[in-house]
This record gives sequence, structure tokens and C-alpha cells, in this order.
Amino acid sequence: MSYLEIKNLEISFPTPKGKYIAVRDINLSIEKGEIISIIGHSGCGKSTIMNAIAGMNTPTGGSVELMGKTIKGPGPDRGIVFQNYSLLPWMSVYQNIYQAVDAVMDCSKKEKQEIVLQNLEMVNLMQHKDKLPGQLSGGMKQRVAIARAFAINPGVLLLDEPFGALDALTKGTMQLELLKLWNLSGRDKTIIMITHDIEEAIFLSDRIVVMNDGPAATIKEIEHVHLARPRNKIEIVKTPEYIELRDRLLHLLTDKFSIEDMGMVYKK
Amino acid sequence: MTDTETLTADIETKGVSKESNGGETTNYKRKAFFSNVLKYAKSIFFACVGLFLCGGLWEWLSSYTEGDLPTPAATFTVFFEMLSDPFYDYGPNDKGIGLQLGSSIGRVLLGFSIGSVIAIPIGILMGASNIGKQIFYPIVQLLKPVSPLAWFPIGLVVFKDSDMATIFIIFITSLWSTLINTAFGVGSIPQDHKNVAKAFGFSKMRYLRKILIPYALPHIITGLRLSIGVAWLVIVAGEMLSGGAGIGFFVWDSWNALSLERVISAILIIGIVGLLFDKLFTLIENKVSYKA
Repeated sequence: MSYLEIKNLEISFPTPKGKYIAVRDINLSIEKGEIISIIGHSGCGKSTIMNAIAGMNTPTGGSVELMGKTIKGPGPDRGIVFQNYSLLPWMSVYQNIYQAVDAVMDCSKKEKQEIVLQNLEMVNLMQHKDKLPGQLSGGMKQRVAIARAFAINPGVLLLDEPFGALDALTKGTMQLELLKLWNLSGRDKTIIMITHDIEEAIFLSDRIVVMNDGPAATIKEIEHVHLARPRNKIEIVKTPEYIELRDRLLHLLTDKFSIEDMGMVYKK
Repeated sequence: MTDTETLTADIETKGVSKESNGGETTNYKRKAFFSNVLKYAKSIFFACVGLFLCGGLWEWLSSYTEGDLPTPAATFTVFFEMLSDPFYDYGPNDKGIGLQLGSSIGRVLLGFSIGSVIAIPIGILMGASNIGKQIFYPIVQLLKPVSPLAWFPIGLVVFKDSDMATIFIIFITSLWSTLINTAFGVGSIPQDHKNVAKAFGFSKMRYLRKILIPYALPHIITGLRLSIGVAWLVIVAGEMLSGGAGIGFFVWDSWNALSLERVISAILIIGIVGLLFDKLFTLIENKVSYKA
């Protein structure tokens, strides 16, 4: 029995034209402390799987079990970082985290404040705690969202394209930051992350789940990343294992590599 | 010095002044101050041009009607006379403009407050629940286009008092814009914000206080601003019907006394008060709006 078990998961939505199956036959066992990336084309149901784990939508078939218990709704054992940060724009950074802590945690007000400050410290935003989200850069907003998810001390962290909207430099820093937080928590937090970025997936994950295209998407392949931790971003790209893995992932995600294959335009 | 050099020098000065280097900062600030003053002077000038055109037309109309319409000069003499002693009270049919205005504002605020207290919760219900919308929306659609004055007889029958009937029509007037704007604001809460509440297990109360109300507040205030604007329009007509005291009654009474100077003066005062109401709510609107 694994920590998180996804069994024969199927999620479909009713539409006027009949049942639309978003994902089907998803089977995945995740161990405690693993970092998993889900990668695939847009619209292949990555977010649907993520929402099922989060408890934000209900499976139409199969189940998701966390520590042997079927997930029936959102809960404090899972922290979510949304794709577009989803901070509340009328509240300070501090309040954004405090409201989540206050809703979830069962302890005194002083302890809650303590937790918020600790997490702000962790993501280096102490001096920005009274600012509104609108006054922050994208990277800072993402750090607030991550601090908010960490603050409720969940066993599972769900990240939906967490660094997708960031520029390349900030992205690199944020990836390191995430690994730092994972290390600080004794590597016992399970992280499940959706991404489009093959290099990001290899750098961060233990396993990479490759989806095929929707509708009725399912898992195409699961790749193990055997690179030893801590990984050095500059060093690992030179290893044969990295290169081989990246090529394999590229092959899985791309059918055609050259423009000549695509059209007959230049044929006479 | 070539143009480019001047430009570079200028940029450098600005760079230095940002690091708050004493003298140059003041210089920079002074420049900004003067350009602001110039901007205001310009807009005041153009406003005066508009007023001048208006005054010219008035003057012409006055001579065209051979003095039936009083001249601007005659009107302003009466206007300042009225303002010089606004609070005199010589019995029910002869009160100063300040007292008349006060009783109108009092009625509007009372009717508007009661209307808002009822419209905001119903608006929230309409925006948040589909059933709420289905219950209330047809009623709103049916009654919104009705002139508030049509409610006057109903007010009279129910309250047996013309003053209460006037407050009643202001109450009815104040409902619609607030209702519709509140419902729209609450109905348009983005899924992102709702997801936050879901993911972190917000209670109904926390959702209401920390997400629904803060999100909808700018819309609600816009609704209130529109409502009080219409209420102020309606009070004049309402008081013409009800009599007693008030700026609307004052206009009608002055017409009966054939004092058009007083009618026009009252129009100016009504305009100014309406403008102030609008400005007040715009101020609150800016206070509660946020940057996404």
C-alpha cells in the first residue's frame, strides 16, 4: 500500500453532446517524500488529475486514496499552489497566508501568527508582508502562494504549473527554492507538480509521468530519474543519463522534429 | 550641447534625485508641482469657457423672452440674497433655502439608507444563488422601469402621511441600481477566488467576509452612487407632489410666486448638492477598489 494511490481513475463531464471523458485508466502509486512531475500537452487532463487529488472534483470512476483513505473533498493534508497564484488582491501578503492558516489549523491565535511569520521568513518575504499582491512581482507572488501552501503543513503539495508564468531566471531561482523547502522539511513532503518544461521535470523529480493527448487521456509512460541528489543544474545536463532521458521525453511528447516533415509545401 | 547630450544630462539628474540628493530633489519636485498647477489652471480655464458660453446663451434667451426669463445678473442677486440668510423660518410656507435643502437631504438619506439595507442583502442573494436570482430577478425587471412617482399614491394609502410617502418613493428608487450592481458583483467572483476558499476549507462566514464582500464592494458602492443620484433626481419631483418643506416644494412654490430667479437659483443648488453626493461616493469607490 503506497502513501498515495490512484486506482483506475476516470473523470468525465456531462456535456450537451453526451459524456466527455477527460481522463481514464489512471493508475499511479506515489510514495511519501517523492517528487512527481506530470507532463503532457495542453488539454490532456493534467489539471483534472491534480484537481481529483486535491478533492476539487469527484472521480466518476476509480478512486484516489491518501494513506488508505479515499479522498472525498479538499483537506488540510494537501496544500495547493495554483497556476495563477490565486492570491486575494484586497489582502496583504500576511493576511493571505493567515486566512488559510486560520481556516485550517486548530491552535491559538498566537501560534497561528507564529506559523505565518515562520513561513514568510522561509520564502524571504518578511519585509514585504504588509504589501498587497498587486505590488509584488510574479516571482514574489509565487513565493507567497508556496508559503501559503506550506503554512498549513500538508503531507502532499500539489503544484499546478507553478513556474509557468515566470521568466527563465526567476524560474531557476524558484526551482532551487522549492528544493530547499523540500530539504528543510526533511524530504518527507510528497510533491506532485504539473509542468510543460522537460528540463524542469528532470531537474526536480524522482519520476516523470508522461500523458498522451486527450480526450480520454491516460498515462503513456512513467520515467524514473536516477540522477543523485543534490543535483547541480549545470552539471547534470552534461551527464549521459540526462541527455538520454531528455531525448526520450522529447520523443514521447513530440511526433515530428523537422519542418520538412510537416508540409508538402516545398515539394514540386 | 546637442539635444542628445541635454537628454542624457536630464536623465542623470533624475537618477541622482531619486537617491534623494537634497537640492536636486527639491528642484525636481518643484518642476512636478508647477506642471500640476499648470494642468489645473488649464482645466479651470476650459471650464470657465463652458460656463461663459452657457451664460451667454442664458443672457440671449432672457432678452429674447423680453425679460420673462430673468437675466443672469438678476438671478445671482437673488441667489446670494437667499444664501445670506439660509436658515430663517417664518412659518410653514416661508423657510430659508438651508432649511428646505436640509429637509430634502434628510428624506433622501433616510429613504436611501433603508433601501440600501434591504437591497444589498437581496443583491448578494441574487448573485450568489441561482434560486435567489430566479425568485427576485423577474420582480426587479418588472418594477425597475416604473417611475418612482407612480408609487406615491401607494405610499399615501399605506402611511397616511405625505412626508412618509415621499420617503417611501425614495426608498423604492434607491433599490434598483444597488440591487443590480450588488448581484452583478457577487455573481462575477472569479473561480480562482472560489478555489482558494475551497482548497483551504473556508467556512461560509469566512468566505462571505474575506472573499465575497471585499470582491463585490466596489460594485456595491457603484450601485449606491447610482442609487443616490437617482434618489436626488426624484426628491424634487416627489416634493412637488407632497408639498410641505423641501427643495422640490421650494421650486414649485417659487414658480407659483412667479419668482423665476428663485427657481433658477434652486436649480443651481440642486445641481451642486447632486455633484457633491456623486463626488462623495466616487471617493469611497476609490478607497475600496483594489488592484488585481
